Amino acid sequence: MFYFSCLFLAASIFSLHAADFVTDIHPILASRCLGCHAGTKAQAGLDLSTRESALRVLSAVDSSLLARVEGRAGRIMPPVGNPLEPKQINLLRDWIAAGAPWAELNQTKPTDWIAPLSPRQVIPPAGSGNPIDRFLGKPAKGLGTDNNFARRAYLDLWGIAPSPQHLAAFLANSRPNKRTQLIETLLADERLYTGHWISWWNDLLRNDIGVVYHGDRKSITPWLDRALRTNMPYDEMVQELLNPIGADAPEGFLIGVNWRGEVNASQTPHMQASQNTAQIFLGINLKCASCHDSFINKYKLREAYGLAAMFSHEDRLEIVRCDNRTGAFQEPQFLWPQLGEIPKGASPSERRYFAAKLFTHPENGRLARTIVNRYWQRLIGKGLVEPVDDMDAKPSNPDLLDWLASDFAAHNYDLKHLLVQIMSSGAYQRSDALPRRISAEQFDDTLSAVTGEWRFLQTGASDHAQLGRDWQFKSTPLSRSLGRPIRDQVYTTRNEDATTFQALELANGPTLAANIHRGVMRLLGELPPAPESIYDSRNMRSGDAKIEVPVTGLKQVWLLTEDAGTYDLDKAEVGWKDITLSGAKGEKILEAGSIQTRIGSRRVYDIEAGYDTLRAKVWISDASKASDINTSVRFFIFGAEPDRTRLVKITGASPWGPAPRLTGIDQTIQYFWRGLLSREASTEEQAAARKLFPAGKLQLEGTEDLLWSLLMHPEFQFTW
Amino acid sequence: MVNRRHWLKAATLAALSGTESRLLAAPRKIAPKADSVILLWMAGGMAQTETFDPKRYTPYAAGLKSDRVLSTFPSIPTILDGVHLSKGLERIAQVLNRGTLVRSHRVGDLGFILHSRHQYHWHTGYEPPQSVAVPHMGSFISRTLGPRNPDIPAFIDIGQNLEIGGESDSLKAFHSAGFLGSEHSPFLITDPKDAVASTRPSEFLGLSRFENRYRFYRDLIEKSPLREGGSSFQKESLARSFDNAHRLLTSPAAKAFDLSLERPEIAAKYGDSRFGQGCLLARRLVEAGARFIEVTTEYIPFRFWDTHENGHTRAEGMKATIDGPVSQLILDLEERGLLDRTLVVLATEFGRDMMTEGKPGQEVKNQVTVPDVMTEPKHYGMHRHFTEASSVLLFGGGSRKGSVYGETAPERPCRIVKDPVAITDLHATIYSLMGIAPDTAYEVEKRPVYATKDGKGKVVPGLLA
Repeated sequence: MFYFSCLFLAASIFSLHAADFVTDIHPILASRCLGCHAGTKAQAGLDLSTRESALRVLSAVDSSLLARVEGRAGRIMPPVGNPLEPKQINLLRDWIAAGAPWAELNQTKPTDWIAPLSPRQVIPPAGSGNPIDRFLGKPAKGLGTDNNFARRAYLDLWGIAPSPQHLAAFLANSRPNKRTQLIETLLADERLYTGHWISWWNDLLRNDIGVVYHGDRKSITPWLDRALRTNMPYDEMVQELLNPIGADAPEGFLIGVNWRGEVNASQTPHMQASQNTAQIFLGINLKCASCHDSFINKYKLREAYGLAAMFSHEDRLEIVRCDNRTGAFQEPQFLWPQLGEIPKGASPSERRYFAAKLFTHPENGRLARTIVNRYWQRLIGKGLVEPVDDMDAKPSNPDLLDWLASDFAAHNYDLKHLLVQIMSSGAYQRSDALPRRISAEQFDDTLSAVTGEWRFLQTGASDHAQLGRDWQFKSTPLSRSLGRPIRDQVYTTRNEDATTFQALELANGPTLAANIHRGVMRLLGELPPAPESIYDSRNMRSGDAKIEVPVTGLKQVWLLTEDAGTYDLDKAEVGWKDITLSGAKGEKILEAGSIQTRIGSRRVYDIEAGYDTLRAKVWISDASKASDINTSVRFFIFGAEPDRTRLVKITGASPWGPAPRLTGIDQTIQYFWRGLLSREASTEEQAAARKLFPAGKLQLEGTEDLLWSLLMHPEFQFTW
Repeated sequence: MVNRRHWLKAATLAALSGTESRLLAAPRKIAPKADSVILLWMAGGMAQTETFDPKRYTPYAAGLKSDRVLSTFPSIPTILDGVHLSKGLERIAQVLNRGTLVRSHRVGDLGFILHSRHQYHWHTGYEPPQSVAVPHMGSFISRTLGPRNPDIPAFIDIGQNLEIGGESDSLKAFHSAGFLGSEHSPFLITDPKDAVASTRPSEFLGLSRFENRYRFYRDLIEKSPLREGGSSFQKESLARSFDNAHRLLTSPAAKAFDLSLERPEIAAKYGDSRFGQGCLLARRLVEAGARFIEVTTEYIPFRFWDTHENGHTRAEGMKATIDGPVSQLILDLEERGLLDRTLVVLATEFGRDMMTEGKPGQEVKNQVTVPDVMTEPKHYGMHRHFTEASSVLLFGGGSRKGSVYGETAPERPCRIVKDPVAITDLHATIYSLMGIAPDTAYEVEKRPVYATKDGKGKVVPGLLA
């Protein structure tokens, strides 16, 4: 766990007023001195990497370090390159005068590991079976049960725990290769597979539904959806992300997150592209090196700029060090120039073309190593290299990493092949796998699958809505508390912490309570089907609309005025006009003239026989268009009391099969245990659960309490 | 010290798993002057010349030239000799002797006006975008000091709906603990009247059912056939987080959230606006032991302090909204002996002006349209966003009493002419009063992120008692 032992600042001597060691002094030492004066083989026996070993040249009275850098004594230091700038020397002098306060910047334990760049062909150790197991040996405690495996596989490939039917079918299957078969079957359903993995990719590529930062940020959702559904080879994905061409290309990725206005030099769109492409595809942190040569790894400021220049509109970039222009320029250059150069005078689109080529160059083994390590971490719980964003660190098993990466590349960068490879191994199927917290999306989608209640996607422009999975909606307080990130950063792993806020949201939050309530009503057959509207204005911001709808056979009509994003509900002036029935009995005016209605209100009229048509108008006053009112409303007419949560008509299929109708206590207990925990309830558990139904009768409250308790159960909240 | 960390830490998974961000520089010891902060956020850009820094008053008349107008209200005297505020702030004028009025706060000029981006900058101390998710000031304080009362969340944010359309994601980006981890997130209360609902078992459940449910849940975990060893850690941490939630939901301290328990005659003094009730809630929470509370007038584009037209009447309304609650909050805290240890800060993301957008002398794109000559009353007001100067109030918690700090010029562009205070230094002052060194840092991705940008914030001595 060397990466925990990083930066330790000795505080008692940490002073604001003299030069700051971390931001002023260490950068000088790191960039100009430590190359020679560090470690056991330090030149002249002078090790400047610790305060203790450096003290002998830091005397406040006659520092020999100062004498050398000023050229007053001996050979001027540094011996190569320009002498230190006067400003740097002054900083050193102030710092030494202040007693040379130090902060340990002990990034990584000294290691002789140098991560290879090229792919390395590794022959798996002799034996049969999954090559991964030949590297790692068979799991000491054996493989997990079939129940266990099915739960992991469904959650990892579809993001939803197996239904009781799925589970039963898998358990009943007696073929020896049924586990690999299941993996392949699950992978073959592109819709469910994409519906799960897209969240992981959204985190990685910092893409989300509707995130706009008032600048240019474009969603890459349609592209990503297509890439996953068609199982686009990973190297092609990278090429399209780095060199987007055509209408469907993911150009939003390189544009990044851009707020309006000026930004720090390290956060320009091309610097963001540099940091993100290095982190995501190569497992390299260039964030530090975007301001100055990094203190935490070997990467230099000019390398960050070289990468940035590949994605810039300018031919070369002026290097800005900590927001100070240096006057030096950097041409586009890949982090490993040996893989190829970008021709002088290349246009921006040509530079992107070369960038795409270099990232996916066959000799760039880092590309495959980085992604296979991310998948390994996601599926096994811990990367072969940790942290997953520092691929220069030593893998726990270099041979396995290199074999996995080469195998992946040899199989045309096929992500599904990689999933099969890992998931069919003993490493994945072992009985003592690391527990992994399920994600916000897995939580929400599994609850919907068990109850049959899905949220629906509606737009202001359509009068139809579709049922959707969690990823298709904006984050909610519930999903954020469960770890769904605000994707203005790259997230390569999620926080799996159980926090108090999360528990509050789960124990008492309105969102989950409502989902459970509706879900259980549906399971018990107590949720009447929502009536469908006979008129839906869609979202309106101004003007008026004429309505003429048939009302034959209706006893009542319900006229609803619903909010669709108005800023000031009190000032908005909206309403109905001349509500009239007509038919065999002639014409009947229900309300004459303009009727202003409160947003959120409903008007109900009885209809006698003999009328078959309702005519009316809906309107929004011009005064409501003012910028601080920003009226947006939606008018509906229903022929029966509407369900406020289901106003828009729903079309299309549910993301998952229908849920059963629950009628008995034991059936309910069995259904929940199988659907949520993928196992049978023990006798003890059954007895405890039955106590939730004191009258011996299945009812709403007890069923809700049971469902809630199982959702909170560690066995549900983790994959084991 | 076990108690102090109960609420947030209580040995939750975070602390054990090593994912908790690590404190780097154990901060130099600074004696705290305040135990709590109440940040009163004037969201949308409060016009300083219409509130705390009034200039020459020019009444409205059709045909009035826009560039002649500096203030659209006459000024009024205050309890401090020679110090004037804009008309409509009579009650705050009477409590100014308890605090410091800063007229020279200079927020960041980010080259382009975007409310949420400036708010992000003010609340985190960092200009977005950043390469790591930086925390809200309240989260930083929560992480560093922990809660004062284990049953009251350390950081409570009152009054802001995060779902406001286009800028929602930008708001969410800083209403966040960022890399400090979600345990330090703001406890969000959009409407103070609903506060009580979020801190006790929902009406839908009721206490006895809540307790039954919880008992059953504990029982199930006991009966779970989950393996011991490797699994106990996850089981334990999850259960503990529920214990914490359960404790809050059943704690007597949660009564602080229930505004109906306030004496009606006191509650009435805060008015029934959401902001007024938020101030009342803030006072109750400070009494109960909250650490950092933000009460906002709420940011919704083009509403409240975000005056793009009818600025005069809007400012009149906003002053009516804040004058009573802010002054009453100060008086109530004082009467209860809490003002000395509670730092109240009133601030906004930038000031406003009729003519200048951004900072003087620099053209900003997409300026708000302002006619040269006013033809309608709706033109009368401060409709442009002014980043050169804004006003800040500080009360209690070790801040200086009865003083005015800094000055702006009497004529347009009303630049700061004395003692400018940048965000970094204002923050350094706030952090220091709370006993947190401005160079306190946490480690993220192996590098330090400081309380104030690069750890360079300097306390402003003139603001201290």
